[in-house]
Amino acid sequence: MSKTRSRNLFIGLCVAPALILLIVFMFMPTFEVFRMSLYRWGGFSNTQQFVGLDNFKLLWNDMTFIRSFQNSIFLIVVVAIVTFSFAVFFAAILTKENVKGGNFFRIIFYIPNILSIVVIAGIFSAVYDPSSGLLNSILGIFSLENLQQMWLGDQKIVIYSLAAALIWQAIGYYMVMYMSSMAGIPPSFYEAASLEGASKIKQFTSITLPLVWNNIRTTLTFFIISTINLSFLLVKAMTGGGPDGSTEVFLSYMYDQAYGNSTFGYGMAIGVIVFLFSFLLAAIVSRITKRDVLEY
Amino acid sequence: MKKMKFLLTVSIILVIFTLAACSNGEEKEEKSADKEGSGEKTTLKVAALESAYGTEMWENVVKSYEEVNPNVEVDLQMEKNLEEVVRPNMQAGDYPDVLLLATNREEALTETLIKEDGVENITDVFDMQVPGEETKVNEKLLEGFTDTLATNPYADGETYLAPMFYSPTGLFYNAGLFEEKGWEVPKTWDEMWELGDKAKEEGISLFTYPTSNYFDTLLGSMLYAAGGADFYSSAMTYEDGIWESEEATKALETVEKLAGYVHPNTVANANPNDFTKNQQLVLDNKALFMPNGNWVVDEMKEAPRAENFAWGMTSIPAFEDDGDRYAFTFFEQIWIPKDAKNKDVAKDFIAYMYSDEAADTFLEAGAVQPIEGITEQLDGQKQTFYSIYDEEGVLPAMGTFASTKPVPGANMGDTLYGSIDSVISGDMTFKEWQEKIEEVSDKLRPALN
Repeated sequence: MSKTRSRNLFIGLCVAPALILLIVFMFMPTFEVFRMSLYRWGGFSNTQQFVGLDNFKLLWNDMTFIRSFQNSIFLIVVVAIVTFSFAVFFAAILTKENVKGGNFFRIIFYIPNILSIVVIAGIFSAVYDPSSGLLNSILGIFSLENLQQMWLGDQKIVIYSLAAALIWQAIGYYMVMYMSSMAGIPPSFYEAASLEGASKIKQFTSITLPLVWNNIRTTLTFFIISTINLSFLLVKAMTGGGPDGSTEVFLSYMYDQAYGNSTFGYGMAIGVIVFLFSFLLAAIVSRITKRDVLEY
Repeated sequence: MKKMKFLLTVSIILVIFTLAACSNGEEKEEKSADKEGSGEKTTLKVAALESAYGTEMWENVVKSYEEVNPNVEVDLQMEKNLEEVVRPNMQAGDYPDVLLLATNREEALTETLIKEDGVENITDVFDMQVPGEETKVNEKLLEGFTDTLATNPYADGETYLAPMFYSPTGLFYNAGLFEEKGWEVPKTWDEMWELGDKAKEEGISLFTYPTSNYFDTLLGSMLYAAGGADFYSSAMTYEDGIWESEEATKALETVEKLAGYVHPNTVANANPNDFTKNQQLVLDNKALFMPNGNWVVDEMKEAPRAENFAWGMTSIPAFEDDGDRYAFTFFEQIWIPKDAKNKDVAKDFIAYMYSDEAADTFLEAGAVQPIEGITEQLDGQKQTFYSIYDEEGVLPAMGTFASTKPVPGANMGDTLYGSIDSVISGDMTFKEWQEKIEEVSDKLRPALN
């Protein structure tokens, strides 16, 4: 056996286990989701009826699905923008300014991320409680009774309440990510800029942001994926999609249809839409934020 | 290029090896299963939902069944999230022989199998002799329990699910408070509104509900009260225009009127995380009534409560004086999947569920079966709940929606009960609600099994 051949054999053997696992546990199930979306099937019987794109046509007219889609998009956009702004702001302050107890704040901000989403649901249901909740009590102390709300009962507000919980949960994680890349920027850049008379804000927009841009791009994709997943978990644990479906997100609706309504094929059609949507959105976001990577 | 080809071949060979290894294992397993089958002992796989009654009663019943039937070895599986555990096995073709899993659960595993014709017809079980006894099953069963859509889902007189633990449901209240204030428990909706106004003056709301799903028994009883048993079954079989009929309108309108009397915090807490806060409202004398089942007593066992608190339960009020009042009976079902391996033994096992010994064991843990004379063995508070039908003018109501083929996007439960949150909060009028229900009913009618 020649040297290159044995080398190739070695590479092949090393790669194969991961490749097999990838095919069996990633590609095949994904392919199954796409295949099942073309069938009418309850999930158990052997009568899988091929219906072509019927499931997708039905989806187009299903108002509950459209509402859950709207909710998901709303959550993705709001959670991404607000979390991003807060995380970058806090990260910049904690790395660049000499804040007393900076490490303490870093830990405090990061704690929500360690908590299970069920615990977060518990915490926020206590915060939002209509009569004894933290939020309404604080508003009561400042005599702002007219601002007191049914945070989880009013259909116009409840989605914001969910978004707030998701943002609270996410800030610490992204802040730590931004901090790590900000810490890598050489301090001499800032020294030079301040000698030139650049304000703190100018320094932030002209030095910090461009130099952590690549990191920000990565986190934008994370925002999309994690909001889709976590919003499902939070909805399941906290509101159950209620009141009357007003907090239903597309994954919870998919679950509802695939299991609760015994229409597994239809659920998979929703799965296909979610899959394509998140892929497409991530691709678009990554494309429009593409810049030349700055080296330092 | 050559390199690529080589890599590909190697990985394909490895894939084949892995798959072959998998299938070998399966064959071996099957062989060993065959051996057991042809041998002396049959292994019966029983899967039961672990509920508030605990696991011990099932372990004891299984033990006593094995004594009566020494040829059978029972492999008992109990889980709180039974659906999640058995579903993957069932999809891989490994079915339990007997399942105790009720309908109307969130994952709807039982409904899915009913819709897919995956449940075995067990009509003959009721003519079987109870193992170890002289009597037949249907001689022991309470009347009416095997005539409902909850046991005969295709409305064809054939029984597919056997009734197990039952509990009457109704409106729960603080009997101590009623005594203290000298209030009468209302028998009609008019009396109900009167009481509601009286209570409002004292700062107490008339009504609350844990989640909108609890309306399944309340609305069911109202439909019975509005139009009787035949009307109820027409509604459950999606008869055209039934939800726009006078009777249905009466029931739906009453729910809308109820909205004015519901405790303001109710909708905000009507979710899986906070529903006990709504139940707490009754314990704290902040709301008078809530629809519930007798499990609420155990559920709220540890909760703080008002002084002189005592649980009371009443039927759903009638629409006119001396009208019939109903209290819905909720029960869990036991059934055999069509793909089970040991159906005959499974049927024998179900028949045994109604034996005196099994019933006593279940009763000890607080689980009551619909067996003749069982309510006499109950004591104290339980007895008052189960004897609700002894009250004059109170009738039992039972049933659920008829089974249909799965219809994408059309979920009767979500529409009929889920929308109640919107009706109560004023986001939807009863007219809009009615239209939505009729629309879903229209979609489901052609899909009836």
